Amino acid sequence: MNKDEIENLITLSSDLRWKIGDDFHDSLAEGIYADASEISSASVSKDNKKKKFRLDAKIDRIVTSKTWGFPIMFLVLALILWITIIGANYPSAMLADVLLDVVHPFLKGLAASIGMPWWLDGFLIDGIYLAVAWVIAVMLPPMAIFFPLFTLLEDFGYLPRVAFNMDYLFKKSGAHGKQALTMSMGFGCNAAGVVATRIIDSPRERLIAIITNNFSLCNGRWPTQILIATIFIGAVVPSSLSTVASMSAVIGIAILGIFFMFLTSWALTKTVLKGEVSTFNLELPPYRPPRVLKTIYTSLIDRTLIVLWRAIVFAAPAGAVIWLISNIYIGNESIAAWTIDSLDSFGFLLGLNGVILLAYIVAIPANEIVIPTILMLTVLVTGVTGGEGAGIMFELDSVNATGDLLRSGGWTLLTAVNLMLFSLLHNPCSTTIYTIYKETNSLKWTTVATVLPVIMGFVVTFLVAQIWRLF
Amino acid sequence: MNYNPTHALLIFFGLVLISYLLFRPKSGWFWVIKNNLKSNEKIVIEDVLKQLYHIENSGKEMNLHDLNNSLKFNDRTIVDVVKKMTIIELITFDGDNLKLTDSGRDYALRIVRVHRLWEKYLAEKTGFDKVEWHIRAEDMEHKLSHEETDLLATRLGNPQYDPHGDPIPTKLGKVADLEGEFLSSLKVGSVGRIVHIEDEPDVIYKQILAEKIHIGSQIRVIENNKERVVFYAEGQEFVLAPIVAANITITLLEKEESLEENMARLSSLKDNEEASIIGISKESRGDSRRRLLDLGFVRGAKISIDLESPFGNPIAYLIKGTSIALRHDQASKILIKKGIENGK
Repeated sequence: MNKDEIENLITLSSDLRWKIGDDFHDSLAEGIYADASEISSASVSKDNKKKKFRLDAKIDRIVTSKTWGFPIMFLVLALILWITIIGANYPSAMLADVLLDVVHPFLKGLAASIGMPWWLDGFLIDGIYLAVAWVIAVMLPPMAIFFPLFTLLEDFGYLPRVAFNMDYLFKKSGAHGKQALTMSMGFGCNAAGVVATRIIDSPRERLIAIITNNFSLCNGRWPTQILIATIFIGAVVPSSLSTVASMSAVIGIAILGIFFMFLTSWALTKTVLKGEVSTFNLELPPYRPPRVLKTIYTSLIDRTLIVLWRAIVFAAPAGAVIWLISNIYIGNESIAAWTIDSLDSFGFLLGLNGVILLAYIVAIPANEIVIPTILMLTVLVTGVTGGEGAGIMFELDSVNATGDLLRSGGWTLLTAVNLMLFSLLHNPCSTTIYTIYKETNSLKWTTVATVLPVIMGFVVTFLVAQIWRLF
Repeated sequence: MNYNPTHALLIFFGLVLISYLLFRPKSGWFWVIKNNLKSNEKIVIEDVLKQLYHIENSGKEMNLHDLNNSLKFNDRTIVDVVKKMTIIELITFDGDNLKLTDSGRDYALRIVRVHRLWEKYLAEKTGFDKVEWHIRAEDMEHKLSHEETDLLATRLGNPQYDPHGDPIPTKLGKVADLEGEFLSSLKVGSVGRIVHIEDEPDVIYKQILAEKIHIGSQIRVIENNKERVVFYAEGQEFVLAPIVAANITITLLEKEESLEENMARLSSLKDNEEASIIGISKESRGDSRRRLLDLGFVRGAKISIDLESPFGNPIAYLIKGTSIALRHDQASKILIKKGIENGK
């Protein structure tokens, strides 16, 4: 074919296209469906399909009813979170016992026996090993409980109904009902929540869900919240009420997170995201008995282990950094001490302190190691007795002892409240950041998702601190 | 520096105020300055051409004074630009009135082409709200080059009409005619189809949008007098002021077409009612429309309500044996015929 003919062909095709009009997509889809229904009615016989549908309809009437829809939903979510938090305590404690109290001393002994130099031993065992062990101990059990439970609900077909119930609320802030699911998934782990946004097929709403997932308190942050609330908030009320007070404080923070999620979603649709394509549809599939074993298997492999692996990959260098900054000296102070010193005044402005800010910088890879890092750094800069040595993270067995140590580091109720707020509103952990990049494939949105929450955290803690000090 | 929480708060709110003044949408100083830097001669020339084109098309005439009033640039700039445009023969003076020359008309058509193509692009490929299409296209029409425009047209499948129903000039400057009459001038009882909704002025366009009037709808005029125009479309009655109705163009139906009297919007379907789908309104565009087609919302499909969510929105519809939830505004863009008598 020569060039002229091709030209002619192109002109002809655009001519035809012009003539065919705008409706041809409709006609095409119509034709396909007409053919399909002809084939199916000729070859498929349905008998008891109607009966099955009845049971589905009955369940649907209850779980989407005005009276029962929401109570059932909150009950299910609360139950799952409760099982996760309570149930994870035991295996977590066991893992911590083994990895931190048995394996760690054993490795130290081994290193000493082969005459490893102190810096290599500290760098590898106190730094890298300890951070990895910590992340595994805190992260693995809750995820191994939360994800299978969640996946079972998904498999059963209940989750689309939740999205259906919640859509109206999410629509108000420009989001998709399915964001209710990715948000709940974020309570387990933000990285997994970000991956779960794949169920949202509308580009704009998916980005919203990805960017705001970090406002769900993940299981790396629940223990921090609970610990700090128990120590500081529980202490300001009579001891009979302390559990209630500290628990309500933690739940309050989680609800505040949901509030920020809605607010941010709304702000994003009104500004940077308004040009993204937005569509909506939600299929309510029939219920089916969940395939328990398969679900547990796939949720462990696909969600838990992948996320855990990513976390370990990022935690290892963090451990190394934590050890190094506490053990490398410039002049007569360690890098950590220098940094804390220079961050202190900014920290004070936010009602926090230099130790907390540094801990959040070095613990970007995993929220799980924030508290151990804070404790280690507090001992390092205050010089109080206790702790395991420079660069070695630790946790204390007793809550009271932890409280005493923190107070000796200058902590007040304001510090505690603002730490809880900052733990909610700061950048996602590096695993999540990496996952966001993988999912969006865009540096721009990854940056937005990373920087936006920190700025909000700065603003909120700053305002709280100033207003607190006014009174 | 001695610290005091009140000062810290004052400084903070000061900074917030400044950044608000700088960056608030539209009238923030930053945007204003940016826009002023941008409004160079090319933009003024193109805006003058476009204005003249629209005026000539509507059969009116315009002198320099009217031009000054209709454009938002200062008078001096416009006079300078008009002088220059007569020298390069884009416009001529016919007595007091300004006229486009042939090359001026070609140029104007090109601008109009970019403008309408870009509106089509925004409607089909992005999520921008209808209200924003015009203003964004106003900006873009000065930016796209020849090649980019043609590429855009190809990617959109060389569309004939923009989302408001205005014809898009072709590459060679051909423009399809927009046939029809203004809704305000129709006799009672006439039936037709909405083919064009004017997007200027903004105030009136927003009123039309608020009424949820959809382009492509079949209508029947029920009442038309000085106070109001009432018409029936898609199972509902709409009441407009004549000045608003004048911005809607209707083509009368051909003899072989008849008004579908039972037509209604899916959003008006009640529990326990069954209906068959007639089609998807022209208002549903781009990905949303294709997704609906993929899911089986095609002519002839039977549909009924499966479930209502606790807030009453979205509603799950049973279609082709599957339960699919749609939001209210989507359902209002799907047209149905209630009651299935003869199965067609």
